[in-house]
Amino acid sequence: MDYQQLAKKIVQRAKKKGAQQAEAFLEVGRQGSVRVHQGQIEDLTQSTSKGVGVRVLVKGRLGFAYTSDFENAALDHIIDQALKLAGAAAPNKLNGLPSGKDLGRFGDTGQLFDTKVAELPGDWKIKAALEVEKAARAEDSRVVAFNAVGAGDFVSEVYMASTEGMTGAYSGTYVFLYAMPVASDGAGLQTGYWVDYKRFLDDLDTPESIGREATRRAVRMLGARRVKTQQVPVVLDPLVASSFVSDLAAAANGNAVYQGASVLAPLKGKKLAGPHVTLVDDGLLPRGLATAPFDGEGVPTRRTPILDKGVLSGFLYDAFTARKAKARTTGNASRGYNALPSIGATNLYLEAGTKSPEELLREVDSGFYVTALLGQGTDPVTGELSAGANGLWIEKGELTHPVQEVTVAGNLLQMLQDLDGLGSDLQFRGGSVGAPTVRFRQLTVSGE
Amino acid sequence: MPRATASSRRASASQLAPPVARGPSAAPLLPQPLIERLLAVAMERGGDFAEVYVERTLTTAVMLEESRIKSAQTGLIQGVGVRVISGPKVGYAYSDDWDEPALLRAASTAAMIAQGGGSERSFPVHRAAVPSHYRVATPLMDVDVALKTGLLSRADKAARAFDARVKQVNASYVDQTRRIAVANTEGRYTEDTQDLCRMAVQVVAQGKNGEQRTGMFGGGGRVSFTHWDTFPPESVAREAARQAVATLGAVDCAAGPQTVVLAPGWSGILLHEAVGHGLEADFIRKGTSLFAGKLGQKVASDLVTVIDDGTVSSGRGSINIDDEGNPGERKVLIENGVLKNYLYDGLNAKLMGQRTTGSGRRESFKHLPLPRMTNTFLAPGDHAPEDILKEVKRGLYCATFGGGQVDITNGNFVFEVSEAYQIEDGKLGRPVKNAMLIGVGPEALKNVSRVGTDPMPDPGMGVCMKDGQMLPVGVGLPTLRIDNVTVGGTKVA
Repeated sequence: MDYQQLAKKIVQRAKKKGAQQAEAFLEVGRQGSVRVHQGQIEDLTQSTSKGVGVRVLVKGRLGFAYTSDFENAALDHIIDQALKLAGAAAPNKLNGLPSGKDLGRFGDTGQLFDTKVAELPGDWKIKAALEVEKAARAEDSRVVAFNAVGAGDFVSEVYMASTEGMTGAYSGTYVFLYAMPVASDGAGLQTGYWVDYKRFLDDLDTPESIGREATRRAVRMLGARRVKTQQVPVVLDPLVASSFVSDLAAAANGNAVYQGASVLAPLKGKKLAGPHVTLVDDGLLPRGLATAPFDGEGVPTRRTPILDKGVLSGFLYDAFTARKAKARTTGNASRGYNALPSIGATNLYLEAGTKSPEELLREVDSGFYVTALLGQGTDPVTGELSAGANGLWIEKGELTHPVQEVTVAGNLLQMLQDLDGLGSDLQFRGGSVGAPTVRFRQLTVSGE
Repeated sequence: MPRATASSRRASASQLAPPVARGPSAAPLLPQPLIERLLAVAMERGGDFAEVYVERTLTTAVMLEESRIKSAQTGLIQGVGVRVISGPKVGYAYSDDWDEPALLRAASTAAMIAQGGGSERSFPVHRAAVPSHYRVATPLMDVDVALKTGLLSRADKAARAFDARVKQVNASYVDQTRRIAVANTEGRYTEDTQDLCRMAVQVVAQGKNGEQRTGMFGGGGRVSFTHWDTFPPESVAREAARQAVATLGAVDCAAGPQTVVLAPGWSGILLHEAVGHGLEADFIRKGTSLFAGKLGQKVASDLVTVIDDGTVSSGRGSINIDDEGNPGERKVLIENGVLKNYLYDGLNAKLMGQRTTGSGRRESFKHLPLPRMTNTFLAPGDHAPEDILKEVKRGLYCATFGGGQVDITNGNFVFEVSEAYQIEDGKLGRPVKNAMLIGVGPEALKNVSRVGTDPMPDPGMGVCMKDGQMLPVGVGLPTLRIDNVTVGGTKVA
C-alpha cells in the first residue's frame, strides 16, 4: 500500500465531506523485543502496527478521530466522526492547521534509517540479551537475580498530508539493550539499571558493557543507609540529570507559559544561570532518537535554545499555542497517530562542560552523588522539586558509602542559580534527553 | 523501556489515559471457528499453552482550556494478540489487521517459541459465563458528546466562581468502551465489555506576590453516565479549586522524620506503592522483590490488613475477568500484619505451582499480561479519625496526594503530598508546601500505629504504571497514623 497516497486521499475525502482544513497523520511500524531469564528466552514479542489520525477544521472548530483499521469503510467512518466532533467543540478563530509561512522547507536531518537495524537477523536480539545477562552475572558474584534483561528493535514510518499543502514522510530505525540486575549481600537487595538506545547499530554500546555497568550500579548500592537531614552539594549522574533537564523543558512548554502555569513564564530574557549553562532542543540533531524532518503537524523541526549561556531565550511551541501567544511555532508539536499534537521536546540536552565527572566530585568536601530518583520530579507551576533519591555519599572528594531512603528537595530557579558544575560526559542514556554530570551548590537532603 | 520502578498517580487533566473500551454489538469480536483455528496454528510447533486475545477499544476524550472546549476526539484501536507458552518461555505476536492471513501469521510467529514438530490437534473452546461488577446501563460510547463537553463547561464555571484567586482551569473527560475476548487451549472462552470514564480538573490559583499553587481532583469508574448526577462536575471543580487556594501561603516543609496522619481515600496510593507492587508474582518468582520468601511472616503492624479486590461494584480497578479470561477476585494479601498471599497471573502461578488470583492484566493487545493490582485498600481499624489527629502533639497531616513510585527491590517508595498541614497539639496548623514521604515498605507498615474506622475508596482516578503499561486501578485507606516517617522537605531544623 502506498501510505503517502493514502494520507493524501484521506485529506481529499475529508475536504469533500465538508472539512475546510484537514490533516492526516499516519504511522506504520514493526517491532520486536525479547527478554531473557537465566540463560534462556523469557518472552519474545513480534508485531506490526499502524494507525492514522485525522484532524479537521470546520468554521474554526476542531475535531479529531483515529483508527488502526485502514479499511475504506473505517477510514470514512473516522472522517465522519471527526467532522461530527468538530460540531461539539468551541469555535476559536485561532484554530487552524499550520499554514504556508509555518510549513516551508525541511532541514537536513542526516540519516535516520540504519539498514543494519532494519535487517537484523532474527536471533540477534536473543543473542545480544543473553550476552548482556552473562556479562552482568560474571561481573560480580553478588548478582542473584534480574528484574529484566532485554533487547529490542523497531522500524517506524510516518506519513503526512494536509489541505495546506503539507506532504512528507520519513522512516527511522531504533535498537536498544537494557539490564536490571539484582544484587544481594544477605541483608538486603539492590537493583541497578543501565540501558542504551540508538538509531544505528554501530552507535550501540556492547552487550558486555551494558551488563557490566548495570551490575556495577547494583552492587555499589549494597548496604545503603539513610544519612542525616542536611543541606549539602548534590551531584547528579547523567542518567538522573536527564530528568532535571526534562523538568526544565516542561516548564518551558509554551502552553504552560501562556497560561501562566510555569515558573519560567515571567522570566524570558532574564539570566537564570551561569554562562556555562546552555539548554537546547534540537529536532535536527545528527543521529538523534527524536530527529525528524517535521513535527507532528508537518512544521519543519529546528534547533531552539531554551537557555542560552544562562539566559532564558525561548519556549517550545506548536502552531496553535504560538498563535495564541503571538509567537512562532518552533516545530515542537509532538504526537502519535492516536493523539492530537501537543507541545513536546525533541532531542533535548544540556551542553557539556569541561570538567571530568571525577573532578566535579573531587571538589566536594561532603555531599551526595545521586544515581537514581523516585517520584515525579519538579512541579512546573511552582518550580518545586522533591524526589526520593539513591546514590553514594561524597566525603573529601571521594565516593564512600551508599545512601537510600532520603529525598532531595529544592526549587528549579534556585537550582539553576546553584548549578556550579557540568561534566564533559554528555550522554543520551535510554532516550532523547541528554545530560552530563551536573553539580548543584546546595540542596536539602532529608533523611534521619 | 522497562524500569525497575513502578508508579501510580492521578491521571492529570492534561493527560489522556490510554485507549480502553468496547463495541455495542453482542456479536462476537471474532468468529469462534477462526479463534479455534488460530489456537491450532499457535500450537503447531508443540507449545504447552496458547491464548488468543481480542480487543476493540473505543475512546472519547474532550478537553477544556481557558474556558473553551479545546478539542473533542474519538478513536478506535483494535487488534489480536496470540500468546504461546512453552515451558517458561513465551512467544507473543499481535496484529491490528483483522484479515485472516494477518491473524494466522501472528499465530505462527508466536508458535515459533516452541521447538517441537508439527501437530494436528484441534482446540475447541466453550464460552464461560462471567460475573458482573460494573454498573453500566448504557454504554458510554452511546452518550452524546455534547453532554460530555457540558460537564467540562460546568466544572470550569464552578471552579472560577469558587474564589477570585483561581486563575487557570484545565479539565478533561475521557471514556472508553473496551470489548475483550480471551480464548485458550484449555477450552476457556470469555468475553467482557469494560466501560470506564474519568473526569479531571486542574486548577492554578494565584496569591500574593505572584505565588502559584495547583489543585487537582477527579473521579469516575465503571459506571453509567448518570454517575455525574451524583458526582457532579461542580463538586469536582470546587474540590480542585479548594486545594489550590488552601495551599496559598504554605510554608516550607521541615525535612526529617515526623509522625504523619493521612486523610482517608486517595492516600491508598501509599499501600499500592509500599506493598502492592512488591507482592506481584513476577517479582516474587524472580526473587527481585524484598517480599520474596516472606509468606507467613510479619511484614507490617498488627493493625494492617491489606486487600486487593477486583470485584468492588463499579470500581475503577474492577474487572469481571482479567486479561487472561479468569474472574476478578478478592484477595487478602496481608492479614493483621502477616503476609498471606501474592498477586498471581496464570504464567507465574503455573511456574510457582500456585493458582492464578485473577491478577493477569494488560494495557492492550500490544502487551503481555503481567500480575497487577485492581482495587487495593486497607481494612478499617477501630480508632475514631478525630482522636487519631487529637493524639498527635507535633506532626504532619497529609490531606491530598499526588502520585507515588516504588523500587520493589530495596522497597524504597515515595509518596507526594500535594496538600499538607502542620499538626500542633492535635490541631491543624499552617499549610506546608512541597512535602513528600519516603520509606521502605515493611518498615513503614510496621510503624502504622492507628487505623481509623472510616474506610474510603478513592474517587476513581488512579493510573498505575508498570513496565510501560498503564492501567486503571483503585485504592483506598481509612485515616491512618504512621510514626517516624522521613518527610522530604526543604527546611532543615
